[in-house]
Amino acid sequence: MFVPSPSKRGRRAGAALVVALACVVAPLAAQASTVDLATAKAFVVLAGATVTNTGPSVLNGDLGVSPGTALVGFGPPAVVNGATHATDAVAAKAQLDLTTAYNVAAGQPVSAANDLSNTDLGNRTLKAGAYKYTSDAQLTGPLTLDAEGDANAQFVFEITSKLTTASASSVVLLNGANPCNVYWQVGSSATLGTTTAFQGNLMAYSSISLNNGATVIGRVLARNGAVTLINNVLDSTRCATGSTGTTPGSPGSPGSPATTAAAKALLAAQANQATNPKRTVTRNGTTSFERTPHATCTSGFRGTVRGHLIKRVVFSLDGKRIDSLATGPYRVFVRALPGAHSVTARVTFKDATKAKTLALGYRACADAVLSPPNGPSHFTG
Amino acid sequence: MKRPALIPLAIAMLALGAGPTLAGPQRVAARGVPVTQPVVVLLQDHVAHARASTQARVIEAVAAQRPLTQARTVLPVMGEVIGKDGNRWVHVRLPGRPSGHTGWILADQTIRSSTEWRIVVTVSRRTVAVFRDGALVRTFTAVVPKPSTPTPYGQFFVEEALHIAPADVGGPYALAISSRSDIFQEFEGGPGQIAIHGTGGLSDPLGSAASHGCIRLAPSAVTWLARRIGGGVPVTAAP
Repeated sequence: MFVPSPSKRGRRAGAALVVALACVVAPLAAQASTVDLATAKAFVVLAGATVTNTGPSVLNGDLGVSPGTALVGFGPPAVVNGATHATDAVAAKAQLDLTTAYNVAAGQPVSAANDLSNTDLGNRTLKAGAYKYTSDAQLTGPLTLDAEGDANAQFVFEITSKLTTASASSVVLLNGANPCNVYWQVGSSATLGTTTAFQGNLMAYSSISLNNGATVIGRVLARNGAVTLINNVLDSTRCATGSTGTTPGSPGSPGSPATTAAAKALLAAQANQATNPKRTVTRNGTTSFERTPHATCTSGFRGTVRGHLIKRVVFSLDGKRIDSLATGPYRVFVRALPGAHSVTARVTFKDATKAKTLALGYRACADAVLSPPNGPSHFTG
Repeated sequence: MKRPALIPLAIAMLALGAGPTLAGPQRVAARGVPVTQPVVVLLQDHVAHARASTQARVIEAVAAQRPLTQARTVLPVMGEVIGKDGNRWVHVRLPGRPSGHTGWILADQTIRSSTEWRIVVTVSRRTVAVFRDGALVRTFTAVVPKPSTPTPYGQFFVEEALHIAPADVGGPYALAISSRSDIFQEFEGGPGQIAIHGTGGLSDPLGSAASHGCIRLAPSAVTWLARRIGGGVPVTAAP
């Protein structure tokens, strides 16, 4: 045990040690400090090497690369609703600010209870704070971040190595959690699986890849490597402080005027998935169309549609609607007309099963159909 | 010298293909006889034009019902186009004079259908051949017109089928054809219309050339036809 010396020299030494101890102990006791992306906030995508896009991705925010130069695949049908900075001073400054923010996030104190190493992020609910993985992190399914009503609640994930999400995984924000205050500090690279609905500021030391259909509310920021996009929607307008090259938007607005309809639709879908993470789309409808009697030619027959989850059946004869039934039995009697004809049944379902059109062809037995009426005999004979 | 049997049929089949281009592919059986014939059923009276345009010359009005039985008018379709005015038009065979004439009517207020039946009258052979789905199903011996009162040759169709009272001649049934006699402008109070009818009340033997333009069949044969053949069925009259 340390016992301070009563001498003057000893008091100075003791005071110096207290200061030193204070410098060591204070960070351990502090709460997670604010991570500030500064000028990098304007970017929805920022890469160190290249940004490569495939398909009709939509970026709501600035696009930049530095010190690399390549921005590939951002002509139509891709849409960038923000400024583009390729190896310019703005992108370079943003990279510096990203590095600072990255280091601040990496330095957040993490309690032992928040060490999630060797566990999956999926299907769990986390409170505000800093969490860490000493190696790779995996997200499979929904991860819920609960701000408990604190709009300024900050979530920091310190991941030593890789971050990978499985297909259709999601980050769900509850009770005022703000995607702008969620930081993912990834020590190497991050990969978002197909249709992953991700939220937060994804800061990777190396590269970031988004698979087909993944969406991000937040930012995708790679310090040294590439960012790869495939048919993605990324939106940083909820956190935007204004584009670096275009008219500034209002901070926190849920979508700038430049936000496209497609982006809105996808973001709405993502929000819906976040609200109802277990909701599934079913396509279990079945149907068949048969007639009785089954004779190849007939004077008339009954067409019957059977199946499951049928919402409505519309019958048509030679393209003209003859009946519409919303409740079973779904039957129609067809009096056979001379010639060949087609009876169709357009079946719609109560679930997401795609509507089907079923057809029955028939032709009447002539001798069963025709009974010539009486008429005069005044032909040429 | 006996004429080869297939020559008149071949001529008739060539004539079948002489019309305008069909809107869709027409199935043809191995012997060259079309399997089906597209038809339209008129739901209201129409006006036939010389071309697919309301500005084109009017040929005639086409009633929605046939005059003898009031059956709906059914016309064979030879083609279909979208006119410059944006309307859908169908090229159809028309009843009456001149025999075998055609015109364009609006597709509105019509029902598209088809018939698998086809009749070929070969005067020189004095036969009526009946095809279904492009295949020959019956051949009947007929009384054909005498040389002085020939029947028009060409492509026609059945306008209507009717039952003839036993007291009248030509029973028990008649298939009224769209062609008209080139010799008689009027006959027995009618417009000189050609028909395939029975021999009821008539004594000329089957296989003879004795009629005034019509085709006569045995009562059993015309009854068989009348129970199968309705309006719109193509009729080819070949020499």
